[in-house]
Amino acid sequence: MDTELNLLVYPQKPLLMTRTIELVGYDKLGAGQNATVAVMSFSGYDMGDAIVMNKASLERGFGRCTVMRSFSTKLQSYEYGIQEKTVRPCSEGSDTKRMQLDMDGLPAPGEIIKPGDIVINKQTPKDTWNAFGNRGVEYKDTPVTFNGLGGEPSVVDKVARFSDFGGICGIKYLMRQTRQPEVGDQFSSRHGQKGVCGAIIQQEDFPFSERGICPDLIINPHAFPSGMTVGSMIELLGAKARVSVGGSPYNGSAFEESSGGADKVEEICKELVKKKFSYSGKEFLYSGITGSCLQAYVFMGPIYYQTLRHMVMDKMHSSYQSKPHQLTRQPTYRSDQDGVRVGENERNCLTAHGASMVIFERLMLSSDVTTIEVCGVCGSLGYYNRRSGKKICSSCQKETDISTQKVPYACKLLIQELQSMNISMKLKLAEEEINDDLLNHVAVNEF
Amino acid sequence: MDPQPEPVTYICGDCGMENTLKPGDVIQCRECGYRILYKKRTRRKIDQCSAASL
Repeated sequence: MDTELNLLVYPQKPLLMTRTIELVGYDKLGAGQNATVAVMSFSGYDMGDAIVMNKASLERGFGRCTVMRSFSTKLQSYEYGIQEKTVRPCSEGSDTKRMQLDMDGLPAPGEIIKPGDIVINKQTPKDTWNAFGNRGVEYKDTPVTFNGLGGEPSVVDKVARFSDFGGICGIKYLMRQTRQPEVGDQFSSRHGQKGVCGAIIQQEDFPFSERGICPDLIINPHAFPSGMTVGSMIELLGAKARVSVGGSPYNGSAFEESSGGADKVEEICKELVKKKFSYSGKEFLYSGITGSCLQAYVFMGPIYYQTLRHMVMDKMHSSYQSKPHQLTRQPTYRSDQDGVRVGENERNCLTAHGASMVIFERLMLSSDVTTIEVCGVCGSLGYYNRRSGKKICSSCQKETDISTQKVPYACKLLIQELQSMNISMKLKLAEEEINDDLLNHVAVNEF
Repeated sequence: MDPQPEPVTYICGDCGMENTLKPGDVIQCRECGYRILYKKRTRRKIDQCSAASL
C-alpha cells in the first residue's frame, strides 16, 4: 500500500509531444489535462505566478483528484502470549456513533469515516506480567481515531491485516478522498511553470472569444520573463494547431527544428492561419464582465496542466496557544506540532515597515526570553546561587561584577553549545548611552 | 459475557481465497499460507447525508 497516492479523476493525453515524452511513455501516464489558457491579467488575484481558474471548468472535473493515504497500526505483543487485540464495537454508549466497524473491530472498505471517528477498536492488556496467559488478563480500551485527510471525511479504500513470522500482527488501511481544486491548490504546466490557484471565478465573468471559447484558466504574462519558459509558448501554439487540424500531435522537441526532428513554430503558425486563427496564436476576446471587447489581443490556447500534490486542505492550520519547542523554547511550526510562527518572511516584512518594536516583541518578549547572568570581568556566563543569594561567575568562580541580562533562549543555547565544543563566547557589556534625540523617537527597552 | 462474535471474511492477497477469521486466529491464508489478508467491501447501506459531504 502506498503511503500517499494522488490520482487524476479525468486524465487526458497531452496535445503536444516531444521525443523524450514518447520514449518515456509519459503520454500514457495520464498525468494532466489540456487546459485552455489565456495569457492575460485578470482580477488582480493572479499576482506572483498565481492562476485564476474558471469555476465551471472545475465543476466539470478539471483538476479533480483522488487522494489516498495509508495508515498502519501494530498490535503490540507482550510476554506469555499476551497481545493487544481488536474487538467488536460496543453496541451502546457514547462511542457507538463514532464506530462504523465490523465485528473484528475494523472498518470495511466503502465505509465513510468522519474525523474523530474510531477506525480500530483496539484493547491493550492492563497487566502484562500475568503468567496465566491470555485467560485472566484484563483489557482497557485504546481505540485508534481517524484525524481525517485535511480534517475532512474520507472513505475506507482498503483494509489489510498481516502478520510476520514472529506473530506480530498489524493492520494497514487506505483512506480515500476526492477533491475539487480550491483557492491555494498548486498547478503546473510541463515547463515547471507552477502556480497556486489565486481565485476561482464564475464562467460568466470570464473572457470569451468570438467562437465562444472560454479559457479554463488565466495566467499572468509576468510568469514568462521570470520563468524563461519559451517552451510554454511553443506548446500553446502546437497544441492549438493540433486541436484545430487534428491528426498526430506536433513534435515540440527542443533544439530539433533544424534537423527536422521537431515541427517549426513557423509551420505550426501557418496551420493556424489555415484554420482561420491568428498567425501569432492571439485571440480577440470579449470581457465577460462588461461585454465589450478587450483592448489587446490575448495569447490563448491549450497547455497541458498537472495538479500538484500540495493542497491547502492538508496544510491549512491555525492555533491559539501551543507548547514551545523543548530545546529552543521557541514557538513550534506546523511540521513540528501546532503553533503559528513569526518566521523569517514575516520578520522581513516587519523590517520593511520599520516596525522594530513589533519585531522585538514578537521575537523576544512573546517568544523565548530568558535571563542570564553575565560576568563583567571575563564576559562569560555566570549563575545565581539561590541558597547564598549570590551571583557567581562560573569562569572566575568569584562574585565579580555580574549583571543580569535578557536574551533569547536560543542565544543562551548557542553560547552553551559553543562551549561544549571548546569555543568560549564572551559578552562585552557596556553602559547604554541614552541619546536624547533617540528618546524622543524610540521607546526605550523597558527592562 | 458478549455473545460469540461473528467471524469476518477476508480475501487472501495472493490466491484470492476467501478466509473467515475468528478473534485470536492466526492471520494466514488457509489455502496458500500467505500472510496478508484484505477485508471485503462493506455491505452496509451508505448514509446519504454523510455521503453528500464527500
